[in-house]
Amino acid sequence: MTLFLTVLINGCILGSVYALVALGLNTQYGVAHILNIAHGEFIILSAFITMTLYAGAGLHPLVALAVAGPIVFAISFVLHRTLYKRVKDMSANIGEFEGNAILVAFGIYFIVQNLMRDKWGSATSGYQFMAFPVRIGPADIAANNLFVLLWAVVICVVYYLFLMRTRTGKAIRAAAQDAGAAALLGVKINTIMALCFAIGGLLAAFAGVLISMKEPFTTVSGMNYTTIAFIVVVLGGLGNVKGAILGGFILGIVGYAVSTYDTGMMFAVFYLIVLVLLIVRPKGLLGR
Amino acid sequence: MAMLEVRNVNVSYGNVQALWDVSLDIEEGKIIALLGANGAGKSTLLNTMTGMLKPQVGTITFKGERIDNLPSDKIIEKGIAYLPEGGRLFPDMTIKENLELGAYPSKLWKTRKPDLERIYKMFPILGERKNQLSRTMSGGERQMLAMGRAMMSNPKMCFFDELSYGLSPVMAQEVFKIVKHLHAEGITVFLVEQNVHQTLEISDYAYVIENGRIVKEGEGHSLLDDDYIKQAYLGI
Repeated sequence: MTLFLTVLINGCILGSVYALVALGLNTQYGVAHILNIAHGEFIILSAFITMTLYAGAGLHPLVALAVAGPIVFAISFVLHRTLYKRVKDMSANIGEFEGNAILVAFGIYFIVQNLMRDKWGSATSGYQFMAFPVRIGPADIAANNLFVLLWAVVICVVYYLFLMRTRTGKAIRAAAQDAGAAALLGVKINTIMALCFAIGGLLAAFAGVLISMKEPFTTVSGMNYTTIAFIVVVLGGLGNVKGAILGGFILGIVGYAVSTYDTGMMFAVFYLIVLVLLIVRPKGLLGR
Repeated sequence: MAMLEVRNVNVSYGNVQALWDVSLDIEEGKIIALLGANGAGKSTLLNTMTGMLKPQVGTITFKGERIDNLPSDKIIEKGIAYLPEGGRLFPDMTIKENLELGAYPSKLWKTRKPDLERIYKMFPILGERKNQLSRTMSGGERQMLAMGRAMMSNPKMCFFDELSYGLSPVMAQEVFKIVKHLHAEGITVFLVEQNVHQTLEISDYAYVIENGRIVKEGEGHSLLDDDYIKQAYLGI
């Protein structure tokens, strides 16, 4: 029973971060059609920004949400407006653009990762934050982990409400379903695409800030998160917001359960899940 | 001066010219039709009239103002609605959300609530099912929703692209009935159709487009008796 509760709570904690990471990638792919290989690099960049602010200037890690968030949002927006927009104009159709965009993202991946390595080296980094246990029933859970869960859920809920309730959110959903039809109704598709790419960056930044609070990271661990985001997106259904959140939590719980027995098996099981899913339900759990 | 005037419009995709010197008038309060086969240039012309494409040569004016250089949202705000072929609804959004997007341009968004009520009065079934996803609706209901969405912007003129395409003859008749009803309420109608017979019967004036050029024009009923139209389009 204790084990079950520990796995469930810690799995949800892991899952909440996965959901956040996947939501960002999903928004970038679902609307802007960019499979962003460099997604994880911006997560790690934000983790380093958070550490620098915390260890260097003594600022609370949450402050980094307001620093790393806008920085990555702006970088992503400019990247879309310059690089990706150019590639899009050069591509004959959206399929060709998707292919070209992956190559661009690969380039950005190498550039950002090496710039980070140049600045922060390749040693494992991290900092101590709220490092004490909290007793929930029979289980001991690290306080920083619960703090991360809380904020990840808040960010997911706010983003979901933004998509469902606001004018821009509805335009984003419309553009994801039928960009041409949305354009006919006056939605400025290029702006919405740039915005979605930037929102994806913002969510990556938020995820990076939260991840830095609970676990160590290195300048090369970005690809792990990108991979997880891909798996969650495939699991939940491409372009599906609810699917990304659900998929994130499922993968988190499964991943934590597996890692209590053998940490090394976690990714093997993740790939197995993807394999089975691609055979049984290729559109993802909530995909259509 | 007609409410909407297309003058000497030329449009090319790269090196391929799709429209050649196209001119037409849409007069206020009338039902005007544009007829042509697949690939004749109907969609290109519509895309140009709705701001999706810019003409290389020529002008389009609405109530005397140039609109060929405006983005789509500004054209909608001026009072021109567009019902695209197949409705182009958003399948995973509710009926209400689909309607709201018909009022997306910023000036219209502010008054979307009374506009929603107006559409629910016009099509009560949409109001009853406003929280249902649009992909769960039948073909006829979807066409109604697409009409409602186009009417959300309170347009003075509406372009209908291939309204009857893919509908049963009975449904097509229903849809044309709604168009006539909207026209009676004061909306100027521009029908773009392959369904020549039914369209000519209800239109005041029609243009025929072939290979990107207007090849024939005239009053609806007179075109029905035209030998060329009979041969090429009605198969008589």
